[in-house]
Amino acid sequence: MTQTSGEDDVERMRLARVAARSGLAAAGEWLSGAERIEAWQHVRDAESNELDQARLAALSPTAVEGRHGPGRLLNGTDVEVVHRVASDPGRLTRSWAEEAIADIGEERYTELVAVVSVARVLDRFDDAIGDPRSPLPAPIEGEPTRVRPDDVGDVGAWVSQSLAPALANVSRTFSLVPTTNRLWRGLVDSHYSRGPQFLEWVWHRALSRPQVELVAARTTSLNECFY
Amino acid sequence: MLRESSDAIGLEIDLDAAMAGQSGTGVPRDAELLAFATAANGAGGELCSARNALEALVGAEGLIEAAATVAIFNGLVRAADGTGIELDARVFEASADFRARLGVDQYAGAANSLHDVDGTLTNAEG
Repeated sequence: MTQTSGEDDVERMRLARVAARSGLAAAGEWLSGAERIEAWQHVRDAESNELDQARLAALSPTAVEGRHGPGRLLNGTDVEVVHRVASDPGRLTRSWAEEAIADIGEERYTELVAVVSVARVLDRFDDAIGDPRSPLPAPIEGEPTRVRPDDVGDVGAWVSQSLAPALANVSRTFSLVPTTNRLWRGLVDSHYSRGPQFLEWVWHRALSRPQVELVAARTTSLNECFY
Repeated sequence: MLRESSDAIGLEIDLDAAMAGQSGTGVPRDAELLAFATAANGAGGELCSARNALEALVGAEGLIEAAATVAIFNGLVRAADGTGIELDARVFEASADFRARLGVDQYAGAANSLHDVDGTLTNAEG
């Protein structure tokens, strides 16, 4: 058994959230820190945005006319991607993604989805635990590296991912953008999978594994996530 | 994961109830866990009272575990659906029975992730 105490777990989660928060403020591979923070602001805006809410209420999101315009730094497609992924992920389609990728490139598209995912974890944790949301961090100066990893390719997803055969598909989701992927993996490992514990059916945590999986099942069901 | 981890400790669970958010799943403290998960996802109920009720039963660290699970799966659904990752073949086969029975195959996102057993994408768009 390789399991840690509750206090250790809580501290590891906190440290991962601190790292993710500051990491989002810094440049990634394809977006500057300022662009990433602007994307995070759009993640928050999507919770009440009129167009997003109209799409959510419609039988199909494409039945609603209109499109998000550009932001201060992000272009219109960037903003559209952030709002759709943040507000209505269960109804995204390959054709929609391909259209966006044709416009902004798969690397930038992937980094935007990763930023949305990380930001959503941070905000949702604060909401769930009852803490006020922190103000968005100030962007850190720096340029995107614009480096594409060598070991990525088509493994069947909409975007290129690691070709390493040992990985489950969900664990290589953001391998195209390693800087943000590290933040993401840190959150997933500390808040859920915890390294080798993931392979153990019996967890000795504050909640049992069935209790954790029940909360997970309810959350994915409400989000209509198939995966 | 819910099914296998419950089997491992001898729990008999009702997956239909779990997916519907109804208590009676067989998981200890399920009513409070489901009420918290539902409210924390903004899908009904009062979050503050659900949080307090859960913390009274599982303690502060248990509440943090529950909040962390809600949070990380809010990210995971966006990561999975935003990148169109395929369901791993092993999971695809192991989950076929309850996916169909619980209506999971009817989710809009299923079109992005379903495969034939041989791994061929069955997505109508693909």
